[in-house]
Amino acid sequence: MMVKLRKELINIFMIKYWSLIKKLTLREIKARYKQSFLGFFWVILNPLFQMAIMSFVFSTILKLTNLGVPYPVFLYAGLLPWTFFANSLGSATNSLVGNSALLKKIYFPREVLVLSTLLAKVFDFCLAFIVFIILMFIFKIPMTLYMLLFIPIFFLQFFFTYGLSLLLAALNLFYRDVQYLFDLVLTLWFYLTPIIYATEFFPEKYRWIFKLNPMSVFINAYRQVLFGGNFPKWESLGVGLLLSLIIYFISYRIFKKLEGTFADVV
Amino acid sequence: MNDIIFENVNKYFFFQHQKTLKELVQAVFRRQKTLERIHALKNVNFTIKKGETVGIIGKNGAGKSTLLKLIAGVSFPTSGEVDVRGRVAPLIELGAGFHPELTGKENIFLNGVILGIEEKYLIEKFKEIVDFSEIEMKFIYTPVKYYSSGMYMRLAFAVAVFTQPEILLVDEILAVGDTAFQEKCLRKMDEFKKKGVTIIFVSHALETVKSFCSRVIYLRNGEIIFDGKVEEGINKYIYD
Repeated sequence: MMVKLRKELINIFMIKYWSLIKKLTLREIKARYKQSFLGFFWVILNPLFQMAIMSFVFSTILKLTNLGVPYPVFLYAGLLPWTFFANSLGSATNSLVGNSALLKKIYFPREVLVLSTLLAKVFDFCLAFIVFIILMFIFKIPMTLYMLLFIPIFFLQFFFTYGLSLLLAALNLFYRDVQYLFDLVLTLWFYLTPIIYATEFFPEKYRWIFKLNPMSVFINAYRQVLFGGNFPKWESLGVGLLLSLIIYFISYRIFKKLEGTFADVV
Repeated sequence: MNDIIFENVNKYFFFQHQKTLKELVQAVFRRQKTLERIHALKNVNFTIKKGETVGIIGKNGAGKSTLLKLIAGVSFPTSGEVDVRGRVAPLIELGAGFHPELTGKENIFLNGVILGIEEKYLIEKFKEIVDFSEIEMKFIYTPVKYYSSGMYMRLAFAVAVFTQPEILLVDEILAVGDTAFQEKCLRKMDEFKKKGVTIIFVSHALETVKSFCSRVIYLRNGEIIFDGKVEEGINKYIYD
């Protein structure tokens, strides 16, 4: 019983493959930053520029107010996790196709490739997060201990992203335009998530959408712990966790089922 | 001691005529073929003992690569049993795990870990690996995208050699590279052979197969046509 449990745990956490995951993650990070001298800056500049442009449009032209915090910080707190989400899915979708040479030759659990791609994106996220802290200082937002809850929420978001990535990466191996199709979905998803606006601006009749949208759950939770000086809404986080679990288990099963044919189709 | 056992192995896979959904939709409307079931290996049976050197010959599309994929464990048989005991090291399409932007040193470690070598062992053997590759130390710290194709190959082969394999899969690697290095590779493989490493050798270079292997398996359209003495198998293949 104990032996079996231990074996299960080793499989789930891929203990045997951590050094491989580490090396592949470092490969992603190093390779990207070697290609362009400005590598590190792009990661920071991209969301920062987006934030600057959108802040101008929405706070100066459309005059969004009553958010509790200045609009640029409010926006950045939503844009940052979203950028992580969108970039992660984009790269993860290609992680199997891009490593087809490895898929055909050497056995290791294929989710290692997906996972290391996402971990490299976490590194980007951390860099861009430093800018967020600077913004908090500039706009004199009070710091509270509740802010630390940011970390478990991020873990949850990471888990959700991982589940979805497994599915997309596997499907993209069979039909290469899954990525383009999903880009369209992402655009729609972006506007159905309270990133540039707050939930309260949405017509009440349609607000149930946010409850079923894990990204919306996470972004609202981030804002609650960062700006509200409060605990997040546990019941909506619970729904987020439940949806993440469902997606993970479905994706993982499909992924494992298709895994044996990856080498035949690439 | 048997290292590799294939028992009534059949492998089917679906060949996708379209690689995008857009093409798939078009094909469905035009009533073209979409998926084609291919019988890549037909009832294949063989046993390879520890320390044997087996050459696998046959035309393109005969199922040689599929056979290697099954041994490497990256693909599974549709029916039948495949039993492989021992550490398999693929020496195929060298440098599959290389990244052009990373330096030679970084790639040694990356590729080594991908091949399943522990990092500690790699640190220990780093100098030996570089020596074997015959690449000057100053180039070890430049990105491999600036390497000549010969240097690239030598580095990849050097890493693979240090994996301490029990079963070595060799797929056409000796077709490229200069003669001096080819000979070095063959010498290294001879060393492996003496150490009792099982070697599966896929090649179109029949002369090399003749001089190197102790047994030959000849595949045609997914079936084993011949399994046995090297001379006889090669003759059968040539006159077929």
